[in-house]
Amino acid sequence: MVREVLQVAVVARMSAGSVPLLQLPAPHPPSRLAEPGQFSGIESTFLALLIFVSAGLFLWRFGPILCTILRSKKAPSFSLSPLGGRVWNFFWEVLCQGKVIRQRPLPGLAHAFVFWGFLAFAVVSLNHLATGFSLGFFPPTSIVGRFYFVFAAVWALLVAISIAGLFVRRFFVRPVWLGEKLSYESGFIALLIFLLMVTYLGAFFVADGSTAAKALWWVHTLSLLVFLPLIPHTKHLHLVLSPVTVFLKNDGFSKIPSLQGDEDFGLVAGKDLTQIISLQTYSCVECGRCTEHCPAANTGKVLNPKEIVLGLRTYLNEFGPASDTALLTESRIASPDNPPAKYLSMKAAFECTTCGSCEYQCPVGIQHLPVIIGLRRGATNTGAWEDSYGTKLFLALEKNGNALGMSSTERDKFVQKQGFPIFDGSQEYCLWLGCMGGYDPKGREIIADFARVMRYLGTSFGVLKKEKCTGDPARRLGNDLVFQTLAESGLKTFEMAKVQKIVAICPHCVRTIATDWREFGVAPEIEHHSEFMARHKDRLPKQTGDSIVYHDPCYLGRYRDIYEEPRAVVAQAGSLVEAPRSHERSFCCGAGGGLVFLGEEQGERVSHVRAEELVSTGADIVGTACPFCNTMFRDAMSAVSEAPPKLLDIAQLTARALPASESQGPQPF
Amino acid sequence: MKIVVAIKQVPERDAPVHIAAEGRWIDEGDLNYTINEPDAYALEEALHLKEKVGSGEVIVVCAGPERVQSTLREALAKGADRAIHIEADDLGSRDTLGIAQILAEAIKTESPDLVLTGLQSDDLGLGQTGVVLAELIGVPHATIILQVEPSGDGIKVKRELEDGWFQHVEMPLPALLTIQSGGNKLRYATLMGIKKAKTKELKTVAAAASSGAPSITLERVYLPEKQKKTEMLTGSPAEVAAKIVEKLKFEVRVL
Repeated sequence: MVREVLQVAVVARMSAGSVPLLQLPAPHPPSRLAEPGQFSGIESTFLALLIFVSAGLFLWRFGPILCTILRSKKAPSFSLSPLGGRVWNFFWEVLCQGKVIRQRPLPGLAHAFVFWGFLAFAVVSLNHLATGFSLGFFPPTSIVGRFYFVFAAVWALLVAISIAGLFVRRFFVRPVWLGEKLSYESGFIALLIFLLMVTYLGAFFVADGSTAAKALWWVHTLSLLVFLPLIPHTKHLHLVLSPVTVFLKNDGFSKIPSLQGDEDFGLVAGKDLTQIISLQTYSCVECGRCTEHCPAANTGKVLNPKEIVLGLRTYLNEFGPASDTALLTESRIASPDNPPAKYLSMKAAFECTTCGSCEYQCPVGIQHLPVIIGLRRGATNTGAWEDSYGTKLFLALEKNGNALGMSSTERDKFVQKQGFPIFDGSQEYCLWLGCMGGYDPKGREIIADFARVMRYLGTSFGVLKKEKCTGDPARRLGNDLVFQTLAESGLKTFEMAKVQKIVAICPHCVRTIATDWREFGVAPEIEHHSEFMARHKDRLPKQTGDSIVYHDPCYLGRYRDIYEEPRAVVAQAGSLVEAPRSHERSFCCGAGGGLVFLGEEQGERVSHVRAEELVSTGADIVGTACPFCNTMFRDAMSAVSEAPPKLLDIAQLTARALPASESQGPQPF
Repeated sequence: MKIVVAIKQVPERDAPVHIAAEGRWIDEGDLNYTINEPDAYALEEALHLKEKVGSGEVIVVCAGPERVQSTLREALAKGADRAIHIEADDLGSRDTLGIAQILAEAIKTESPDLVLTGLQSDDLGLGQTGVVLAELIGVPHATIILQVEPSGDGIKVKRELEDGWFQHVEMPLPALLTIQSGGNKLRYATLMGIKKAKTKELKTVAAAASSGAPSITLERVYLPEKQKKTEMLTGSPAEVAAKIVEKLKFEVRVL
């Protein structure tokens, strides 16, 4: 079998016909690697010198990087447990190349072959160098050797084909995400890898101890020794670092660390960058998957998540990990240490919708969100970020306790009008209204319809007498003062009301209460209304006729891993249509990260891009599961389409089929 | 430049206001308090001025019961350097002059270059405290100020007049200004500000007893009485339209 494959390989190489060595008569059947013969003392000394220079150059360049990473701040919250998750990540993302392949199948597979080929070659290369000192420990003539070198040859062929494919992709197909500038280093390294493989394969066609065998041996060796010192200097550093990065990355999606002590305000300067962040920064392979999926980068904003990571790297190279120089520029507190228009821009940091596509996509374990939100914390907590909308939002959250800046009496009136019972401990669920459900006209419709669904199902619920924002926009915009105040107040409210289970219509509320509040206490169990309705879907009326395209909200999908529940609800209300980008690749509506409150965005609107995509499916209805997505699409769809489809939340999709009596008003509980 | 900002704590804008039983004041039981809005702008202007000049000190002064300390702390968090709390539980029984007197007493000992106050308060809206205060500490004053620029030994200020007109005035220092809302963008209190505020000085001084009976007393406090008025406009459509336009222009003033 292996032999057959090799013969195919031989034919493939012969037909390429460019390597004259292959035309030499084969003195032994091409199923065994030729040995280069004896090495003279001079040769061995020369080899030792080369290895010494190559390794020296590698360390000379890699040492400072390692030092930078190690000298970065130690994160007090870092812990190796749960170890199981880390081992799994390493197994799946590194060894299996699961993420690399899954999100970009063709180049992903090519990369995986190169990677697996490298693994297969480890022992081959070691033996190869040892041979130069006449210390070969793995003779090709041995039984295991016979098998293994042929096995490696198969991989060599796959690597050669894959690296050639990747070369064509980088230099001729030129996907925009790889950056405008062609990386000639990458081309050179691809050439070296190709050369390594060809010289290895060539040794199957020459005689033991022949000049050709020796020549191939030397070319192979030189390729290897030239490759080594190039690693730390180029993106190929990921060869060394990314397996460690994937293993060590923080658990949890968009995990925002607690601030430590009185001097920690987030990522203000180099001294605030943790070892993990530094490690991630140097691991970046510049593949641009983060940028490819970034809603800001796709609509012509300044933000480019790859440049954020590379900007940090430039910063670390120039200022080091102990620097006091501000990371973000354009700050109010300008100083000689804080030169304008350098490295990372404040503008870019505040264009992020925190949709999390970058972090989800990254194949080398870089966690962009803690960095971007960390930069925002550094700017907001110190007052360096000046934005009238942001200030208005924070003042509204401080004073009114809701992001819309309305009087809390407006919520009281709405609750009274809807006849929502006040939660008193006797009901099963506490129905969380959120800012949108409590104050926004469309959000109120969603809440009212979801309440109808709960009543129809006979589930008892009550709403809190007073409710304040979860602090989500403050958290994402980096205002820890407002976030902490709201989180603590919210936790206290739940405790006082003795709430056990919460259900909410807003994925942002769910995420913030379930995950971000943990920093300050334990919140009751909370679920999104899609999860609640999916559990009861068999008791919900089955509707037919309408085709419904479902939009995955970022904070429900990527943040909470809920994809199928809302689809089950949608499928019950009509026929489900998938958007061109769906599930974990869903494209943001543009509202997240507090951006919905920051005024009109510049350039093309994220919401328009997504709305167009949803409208183009031709579905009768656009189904949403987040009141913020809903509000964004309401405006966007009428802007991009003359006859836009209907726009309904999954609660509304369900409620419209409920018998009319259910909408007559509250039933006594 | 040493700047004193006299601030007042008032009930929050959307606070549920109930008239107290005796009808002379509001029920303070379930109220939340905040900084008087024009005073917030006065503080903002002071902080701006200090940043512009590059040196100096901003001192906030507030008279009232213990609760006003939260407002002072917030001012410290926003960037004021020191705070003085004039302890007085009887603000309701002091008139403008009485309040200006206790403020003047505290401010005089600081001998500042500039005193800023909001032009009026959100709760009573008398608009006199600043002016009376200027008289008591014996410095010139200017009212309804939107911008302050340092200019030589003195300052240059932009006063708001009516109908979109402004007056630019040069003044010597020391002086007192009453600040109009909206001249600046307000800043929010930051985490760093709050942490720094912990270490800043907040001095409490006792207010002098009020000298004699106040010259003004509140007789009755009541909520605005709502009036509904309906007027039928008659005539041809063109006449009615003309009348509507006139009313919208001169009565409702929305055009």
